Amino acid sequence: MTVRLFVRTLSELCITVGALIVLFVVYVLYWTGVQAGSATAGQLDGLQRAWAQRPVEAAAPAEPAAPAPAPYADGKGFAVMYVPRLGQDWEWPVLEGTRTDTLKKGLGHYAGTARLGETGNFAVAGHRRTYGDPFKDFPRLRPGDAVVLTDGTTWFTYRVDRAPYRTVPTDTAVIDPVPRRSGFDGPGRYLTLTTCDPEWGSSHRLIVWAHLDATQPVTAGRPRALRRPQASDG
Amino acid sequence: MYGWIWRHLPGNAWVKALISVVLVLAVVYVLFQYVFPWAEPLLPFNDVTVDGQ
Repeated sequence: MTVRLFVRTLSELCITVGALIVLFVVYVLYWTGVQAGSATAGQLDGLQRAWAQRPVEAAAPAEPAAPAPAPYADGKGFAVMYVPRLGQDWEWPVLEGTRTDTLKKGLGHYAGTARLGETGNFAVAGHRRTYGDPFKDFPRLRPGDAVVLTDGTTWFTYRVDRAPYRTVPTDTAVIDPVPRRSGFDGPGRYLTLTTCDPEWGSSHRLIVWAHLDATQPVTAGRPRALRRPQASDG
Repeated sequence: MYGWIWRHLPGNAWVKALISVVLVLAVVYVLFQYVFPWAEPLLPFNDVTVDGQ
């Protein structure tokens, strides 16, 4: 009788563990995407609302005595990124900081790196898989591809300079103001994207560098790279 | 284990079945709301940044 009880309890435990694993896979593959979808939609909505309320006059960037802009608030969205190569409707909010919680809601701007459009390196990290898979097709990025960002007042069009570069997680020099191995040889307005490699692993990182190619005020409409996504093929 | 739970649920078979469904849903909710969000960062999918660690 005790043997039967033991065997039965053991099999019930195995079935329970199996069900737990299946549920966890569902959570990782599906539910994190659902959550990220609603979180990013909320972020995008919030940004669009905040930008719509901002007076257009304050957006004019040409004033010489303009005060230094407020620093990005940790964990808060401040820009929207578009990468036509990753999809015509590929649109992700960029939040300040790269903490785990922040990266669940969108892309994360490395604290301490340059501000959007400024001299230095605007470095952004994003999930390759889970939480909406923003950088799933990261290896498809090619030189000349557009990475377009807006902070509500200005469109920034960056151009990718070389195919994704694979490195190790400790290689922090890739987000330096003049990134090592990037081919840039002097100060400039750069952008760095980082994600993990391989797709489901964490042993390496994939890096893409770009330089600022053009800016235009939002009042001038969407930049050409977004209007004709395939025009950027290089 | 499951037999023990089934025997200790009140009511007839239908009531037991209903309570079981509610219990299963409650367990799934707790897993998705609290346990999995805690466990998921322990997996490598979150490591997308370059850092000194």
